[in-house]
Amino acid sequence: MAKVLMKGNEAIGEAAIRAGCLNYFAYPITPQSEVAEYLAKRMPEVNGVFLQGESEVAVGYMIFGAAACGERVMTTSSSPGISLMSEAISYISGARCPAVFVNIMRGGPGLGGILPSQGDYLQATKGGGHGDYKMLVMAPDGVQEAVEMTMLAFPLAEKYRNPVMILGDGLIGQMMEPVEFPNNLNKEPTNKDHWATNGMDTRKSKEKNIVKSLFLDPKVLNDHNLTLKSQYEKMKKQEIRFEAYNTDSDYQILIVSYGTMSRVCKTVIDNLKIQGIEVGMIRPKTLFPFPEKAVYDAACKKSCKKVVSIEMNMGQMLEDIERCVKGKKEVSWYGKCGGDVPTPEEIINHIKLLLK
Amino acid sequence: MLDIKLNGIVIITGNYGSGKTETGVNLAFYSKKKGLNVSIADLDLVNPYFRTRQALEILTKANINVILPDKQYMHADLPILTPKVAAIIKKSNYNDKSLTILDAGGDDAGVNVIAALNDFLSKKKVNMLQIVNPFRPFTENIKGCIKIKQEIEASSKLKITGLVSNANLIDDTTIDNIYKGYELIEKLSEKTGIKVEFITADVKILSILNLKNFDCPVLPITRKLVPPWKRS
Repeated sequence: MAKVLMKGNEAIGEAAIRAGCLNYFAYPITPQSEVAEYLAKRMPEVNGVFLQGESEVAVGYMIFGAAACGERVMTTSSSPGISLMSEAISYISGARCPAVFVNIMRGGPGLGGILPSQGDYLQATKGGGHGDYKMLVMAPDGVQEAVEMTMLAFPLAEKYRNPVMILGDGLIGQMMEPVEFPNNLNKEPTNKDHWATNGMDTRKSKEKNIVKSLFLDPKVLNDHNLTLKSQYEKMKKQEIRFEAYNTDSDYQILIVSYGTMSRVCKTVIDNLKIQGIEVGMIRPKTLFPFPEKAVYDAACKKSCKKVVSIEMNMGQMLEDIERCVKGKKEVSWYGKCGGDVPTPEEIINHIKLLLK
Repeated sequence: MLDIKLNGIVIITGNYGSGKTETGVNLAFYSKKKGLNVSIADLDLVNPYFRTRQALEILTKANINVILPDKQYMHADLPILTPKVAAIIKKSNYNDKSLTILDAGGDDAGVNVIAALNDFLSKKKVNMLQIVNPFRPFTENIKGCIKIKQEIEASSKLKITGLVSNANLIDDTTIDNIYKGYELIEKLSEKTGIKVEFITADVKILSILNLKNFDCPVLPITRKLVPPWKRS
């Protein structure tokens, strides 16, 4: 298919349709409302459904219901909306149903502001809801990657019977870039029989599938959590994705950043290279599972003096980086969280300060 | 190159993401260079990012009058219409020395605000442009463009008077894309009887375009609304 020019939000909507997701429930909130606007037009064309819930709490459980029936289903929201859905995410994880959640982050806490932010890193990767659950979290750095990750999110959610989150800052949703949509995708849910409650008539398995997250027997609940844990361990083995940028050089500083912030950091790295200063970057594409070994190995390189986490928040991924670097190198944070994205100049100045 | 001869009040409309703001801002600079007194009003009440207000500094520096909501509401996603807009419309005279650009939001929702200004606009001669980028969803063909045109006209209570092709894929734009856009806008013009006001082309591509292929002016575009990693 030829290239088209799309906003991140529109492209995420189109990608979901192309991946066979014909169930979309959402509640509008800036800066992700265009997904709903786009799918309100597109879903009827493909015999799909867009239903606006009366709140994000309701939407969360619409997702649970559709997922439990064996349908590919997605919702999109922005930070405060995701907080409201967090209870449902915990229930869906507990019931081991696959679903795709998209968070186009805005500034917080509370209502915060409508400009871009990465303030929900900890909420997404450590669980905003209750209990021992994890989501597989992917962070695109542009519109094309948002398309690819949205399409990948559905089969991954089914593989692990677990919610998958696409975590983008407001700019990922709002900016326009040329995109291409891959063809020949499998649009049918995989392993549906394992998790769908679709009636005994159509089930291949003779076992009933009761969708629930209530396990009153302590041993059964413990075993259930061990099963969940084994899935998260499997994700850590199989699903880590990252990009290494300028790490072949003898870099003095290692940047770790993701999403829009990593695009700015690439400009920084290219500019500093011209000035004779080498900086490398690890860009996690999956935030959970986190590229632990890649960050550790890159930090341990002999030429590397310091590691800096550059984020549009007050230092959230920093905690994961410190954990991975294990004290081998000094780790610090640089960023902003009001909605102004740190500029290339500001980051260059900060890196020069780190090198003094 | 043929001259763009627009003055008085120019309302910029089009489907969501067709490039209204980039076109409007570049038209403001172009017209200023031609010696016109230029004002530009940001009426985009639908789009939260990439609005005219992002180009405030460079526009002001070029002595272009920028009309925005009060500073405290600059980053609000609320439909705020400053009374300054009505004032500038009242003041605007149809002569060859001034140009007032009203940059509306996308789709029919974006031009509701134009209907709200109808009391002031109905007393004036108004140019209303429809910006078309065939590489955007819903306007890749004549049918889609006409649907958007009808929705915009119904919602704004005004008629489109001029067409603009803004065919682009940002940094991936090829000259073939520009020719394809021109072909579509010519067909749309033929079908609707509305003239092609101009087409746009990024300055980076302008030098390799054969301008003889076009019967209309070409507005050179220097991108002003860029993501943070492209800002210098």
